[in-house]
Amino acid sequence: MIGTLTRLAAVPPAEAAELFARWRHDSEYSRLLDADPQGVETPAQVRRRLEDYEPGDMVRFLIRLVADDRAIGFVNIWPNWHHREAWIGIGIGDAADRGKGYGTDAMRLALRFVFDELEMERASLGVLADNERAVRSYQRAGFVIEGRQREVDARDGRRWDDLVLGLLR
Amino acid sequence: MTVLEGALVRLSRGRPIEQDVSLRLKWDRDTQYQRLLDSEPPRLTNEATMRKDSADQGLPDNKGFGFGIRALADDRLLGFTYLSIASWVHRDAWVAIGLGARDDWGKGYGTEAMRLTLRFAFEELNLHRVTLSVFGNNARAMRSYEKAGFRPEGRMRGAMRRDGERIDIVYMGVLRSEFSWRDGGGA
Repeated sequence: MIGTLTRLAAVPPAEAAELFARWRHDSEYSRLLDADPQGVETPAQVRRRLEDYEPGDMVRFLIRLVADDRAIGFVNIWPNWHHREAWIGIGIGDAADRGKGYGTDAMRLALRFVFDELEMERASLGVLADNERAVRSYQRAGFVIEGRQREVDARDGRRWDDLVLGLLR
Repeated sequence: MTVLEGALVRLSRGRPIEQDVSLRLKWDRDTQYQRLLDSEPPRLTNEATMRKDSADQGLPDNKGFGFGIRALADDRLLGFTYLSIASWVHRDAWVAIGLGARDDWGKGYGTEAMRLTLRFAFEELNLHRVTLSVFGNNARAMRSYEKAGFRPEGRMRGAMRRDGERIDIVYMGVLRSEFSWRDGGGA
């Protein structure tokens, strides 16, 4: 669970809730993360969600830097046990921490967890097609583009595509 | 003319579970049908549970629109379609369809029921796009969806496991601008 730049760590609800609520407040981050309309949540609301979740349905990690232990993002993994396939979500909270290889490093750790710990046979993820930096990072981690959902998102008065990427064991 | 009626079938109110519980129970016991319909393992349910679920889920809401499929010839219940709104903001929905009895497959009922569901999605709900997924080994369904207007948009390699083999899941989509009821021969 330790890479060259990052490590996957447990998610302490109080610390993570503060960070997740702050990151979500940033519309650039929020729009890169998913297609939901901008929402705002208090740290207390996020904390309740973190404390409620059932391990087994979903695995949560915080991404911490090896150098100074700072929490810079998260990885969520949704395993489908009977088909041995998992979906992965990842986010790097502060713009200043993007483009430094942290996300790619953390994704490689997540994949190692998915394939070597959960014994999955496939990993999948979805991404906004215009998020080229993310797509490049996923490709560096081994993912292949498998499909394009045309015009699936509406934003700023026009339509945008999503990509689906997959990686086989 | 009604937007919910074609040349072979009509979409009827509510899902089959609300129209004919015994038929729905029979379809649910058919595991080959279940395997074509869904990647989840079959979950058998008894009549009482199904009636209760039906009462709980049958209320109209803005999250999903379920229909029965009935043959125009004899009003027989053939199957269902279900349009599930992925997002009103993005005006995108997922669609599912099933025809319960083998004898009713390959006769154009499904294709027409899908086209009626798309007409409802685009002309009544004013959606921009409808998405579905289909298993890579279900060539008959894919042909039907293409006839209804869908295009393949991606193939998730080996996304599920059946009888020891990895099976692809194919994603298909249709945009409002690509769909025309008339061009498909509809009234």
